[in-house]
Amino acid sequence: MSTVRRRLVPYFLMGPGLVWLILFFVVPLYFMGRLALESGTLATGFEFTWEFANFTDSFDRFDEQFVRSFVYAGVATVIALLIAYPLAYAIAFRGGRWKNALLLAVVAPFFTTYLIRTIAWTTILSDDSVIVDVLKAVGLLGDEGRLLATPTAVIAGLVYNFLPFMVLPIYSSLERIDVRLIEAAKDLYASARVAFWKVTLPLSMPGVVAGTLLTFIPAAGDYVNAFFLGSINQSMIGNRIQSLYLMELDYPTAAALSFILMAAILAVVVVYIRFAGAEALMGDEGEQRA
Amino acid sequence: MIGRAWKWLRRNAIVIYGVIAVLYLLLPLFLIAVFSFNDPSGKFNYTWEGFTLDHWKNAFGIPDLTDAFITSLQLAALSTVVATLLGTLLAMGLVRYEFFGRKTANFLIVIPMATPEVVIGAALLSMFLIYGIKLGFTTLFIAHVMFSISFVVVVVRSRLIGFDRRLEEAARDLGANAFETFRLVTLPLLMPGIVGAALLSFALSIDDFVISQFNAGDTVTFPLWIYGAAQRGIPVEVYVIATMLFIATAAAMVFTVWQQRRAEKMAWILPEEEVDARLEARPGPPAPGVLGG
Amino acid sequence: MTEREAGPMKGFKKLLFGVAMLIAALVVAACGSEGGIEGGKDEGEVPVAKAEGEPSGTVKIANWPFYIDRKTVPEFERETGIKVQYVEEVNDNNDFLAKVQPQLQRGESGGRDIMIVTDWMANRMRELGYLQDFDEEAIAPAKANLVPQLASPAFDPERKFSLPWQSGMTGLVVNKAKAPDVTSINDLFDPKYKGRVEMLNEMRDTVPLVMMADGVRPEDATEEDWMNTIEKIREAAESGQIRKFTGNDYTRDLANGDAVAVIGWSGDAVQLQADNPDIQFVMPDEGCTLWSDNMVIPVGAPNPTAAYAWMNYVYDPENQAQIADYNYYFTPVKGTKEVLERMGSDAAKSELVFPTEEYTANCSTQDEPPGGPEVVRKVEQAWQDVITGA
Repeated sequence: MSTVRRRLVPYFLMGPGLVWLILFFVVPLYFMGRLALESGTLATGFEFTWEFANFTDSFDRFDEQFVRSFVYAGVATVIALLIAYPLAYAIAFRGGRWKNALLLAVVAPFFTTYLIRTIAWTTILSDDSVIVDVLKAVGLLGDEGRLLATPTAVIAGLVYNFLPFMVLPIYSSLERIDVRLIEAAKDLYASARVAFWKVTLPLSMPGVVAGTLLTFIPAAGDYVNAFFLGSINQSMIGNRIQSLYLMELDYPTAAALSFILMAAILAVVVVYIRFAGAEALMGDEGEQRA
Repeated sequence: MIGRAWKWLRRNAIVIYGVIAVLYLLLPLFLIAVFSFNDPSGKFNYTWEGFTLDHWKNAFGIPDLTDAFITSLQLAALSTVVATLLGTLLAMGLVRYEFFGRKTANFLIVIPMATPEVVIGAALLSMFLIYGIKLGFTTLFIAHVMFSISFVVVVVRSRLIGFDRRLEEAARDLGANAFETFRLVTLPLLMPGIVGAALLSFALSIDDFVISQFNAGDTVTFPLWIYGAAQRGIPVEVYVIATMLFIATAAAMVFTVWQQRRAEKMAWILPEEEVDARLEARPGPPAPGVLGG
Repeated sequence: MTEREAGPMKGFKKLLFGVAMLIAALVVAACGSEGGIEGGKDEGEVPVAKAEGEPSGTVKIANWPFYIDRKTVPEFERETGIKVQYVEEVNDNNDFLAKVQPQLQRGESGGRDIMIVTDWMANRMRELGYLQDFDEEAIAPAKANLVPQLASPAFDPERKFSLPWQSGMTGLVVNKAKAPDVTSINDLFDPKYKGRVEMLNEMRDTVPLVMMADGVRPEDATEEDWMNTIEKIREAAESGQIRKFTGNDYTRDLANGDAVAVIGWSGDAVQLQADNPDIQFVMPDEGCTLWSDNMVIPVGAPNPTAAYAWMNYVYDPENQAQIADYNYYFTPVKGTKEVLERMGSDAAKSELVFPTEEYTANCSTQDEPPGGPEVVRKVEQAWQDVITGA
């Protein structure tokens, strides 16, 4: 095979996929940016006018939802981490022959349509449900209290729906840990607890970083949970983007809002990765090129 | 006695916790399965009213719902084939070759996964609107392939990274050409990864609501039909189909895991002999000059 | 294939160049087409959807879900030989407009021959130039059976482009066991029911009712009245008095017990009663709002001839009775009551299907803010901010 031909091989392999991603991911972003700078109404049509005010106006109008989205997504991510880490740990180190079955159970929610499982939660959490009765009986919820249409329900929905994204990366990084290392640490520090903090946890950090990002990002843009489980006082930025695009037909504002959301999320991610220092997300570190 | 129980509890706390967490994950699924046997007297399926098998016997009795479900299956199948193909090639290029622009390529693959669905959907819709492209099955297909590719790459890449390239070298030493090596060694060993990626891509596609809602036009997929129905009350049939879908995907998943294990076992014991045997059966001498590497 | 390669490569450059050209082409193309999204087709005369020859082929109807019984469509097909593609795709007027707008803008209807939308949306679509006028001759049999009360609404006084599918009332839907004393819209603001009250997210359903409860008739309302009412609703929503703004999905919350009193539609109450007899439609003390969902023919409809056949068919009282018996909304067709009585259907006796004049005396059909499109846009935006919590 000639050198030129060989050099071209990777591009032939990657070409179709990359072109697809460029045409249908990068280019659309460009058009969304354009749309965000247009002005007009449905009756007159929309024209490109460098309408930068769309950005400032839409941010002013919807700042509350922005803050709410990021707070909800942040809280949901932390809770998901607290639930997921012990679960991943249990599966990785104590799963035994049940390991595969347990993993299957973790991804099982994905086999049911997202909407259906969210709607199922509206039944589980409804005011006359067993859960609400129990919470009232033990006094965690006042007589007039409820779960649906509260921040609790929306965050619970986010936690539930994105939990597998948290469990799987943590599991796979725990799984990779050489058990002998932990044993050695136990001998060294003579305490399981210290061994956990000094060895297991640091070694599983790439999984934690990947998991938190995979939970936070979709949660911040989500509107399905707020739609079914929340009320207007829980509406998130995704709800408004959806409504502007698909109900109000105010495309420029909608596009500007989407752009701000993406920029904000990227900013959070970049800061977080700097802080957590992980190339884990890029998946480059383990690549062995023979 | 209490001391021993306490000790047992302490040692197994994490296991008990794990079981509870798994039950929590499965709770809505359980509810969905139960409600697929509900027998509501009105048209709404919100409260438990009694047991019936009618809706299971008649799962496809609502033509619109059935159409939507079939559309979803077609869309998922088509986008899975294309995304798996493109993604696998991408992963091979990425892992096996050193080339200019790999960082950019890597970034391009990761970034869609780090973008909220609503932004992906909105961006595509913006482009389609500006061009006046008719929304429908085609635009859905474009979108589904787009968001599946990255996931396929990630899955296949992890399989490629753990790939023992000596197996390929062995095949070549035994006289296989590039194509034969690929067909007889590389592909079978990659297969579990590719099948896993395809399964993931299928599940992503059939489950997608957000991106589809933006780009569907007149086309109605299963999740979109549910969203519409949620406005007026979801018929029991939706729960039945959801349960069926769950069982089918779970079965496929179990099957893949089982296959994968088998393939791994084979890879340990068989490769040399098998490749050898197949090469023996091949007519003619190896073509010269194919062992370029 | 393991060599390390240095420097930029020909192949990659080529590829990069190709991709760059593609993007450039796209961008240029986009700029060329005025760059924006076109809107509003206001050029020239409104076309008439002419009927030609004998009806045949397929007719595609876009309707709201659960708006027809299961027998009417197959019987129509058998009787006329026309195939019906009946799609339940309208869940919300705004949402539906968003879905069909790009097609209608191009003069295509997506194969739809009939769409069913609420009064104000029919009006808006007409203004955007998305509808055709009826062929008076072809639709005469149906029009002859239209009840006089619905014959000349403000937006279409001669029924030139819209014909009611069903009409109904917006009022209170109440769980009598849990909220026995709710009889007025003002009761929804009673702290006793905090968080168990819901309102419709259709502005034209909710706002006029709340306005009436404050003593303002929608017919006389000013822009300020609309804004004040919206503000009042916003406060109630932010304090948690109103749990949610809903579409048809309030039925779920009533059935679950999450809501005890809501602003809702008359026909739904009857459907909910099937599961829970405590749920009833209550005519608010201050009156109700009356609306119709109308059949309209979009531009580009492929088979208007068959569309008229359908309209004439459902406007035959014999056929209409079957639909009315299922829906429990009020029927726009003369003579349906007699057929229902003959069938022995309860619908014949229902005040909801055949309201007396006395029953609907205080009801209003005015659902649009005054002062033209600019004001409407402003009011709509204020409303949208309330229901999405901005």
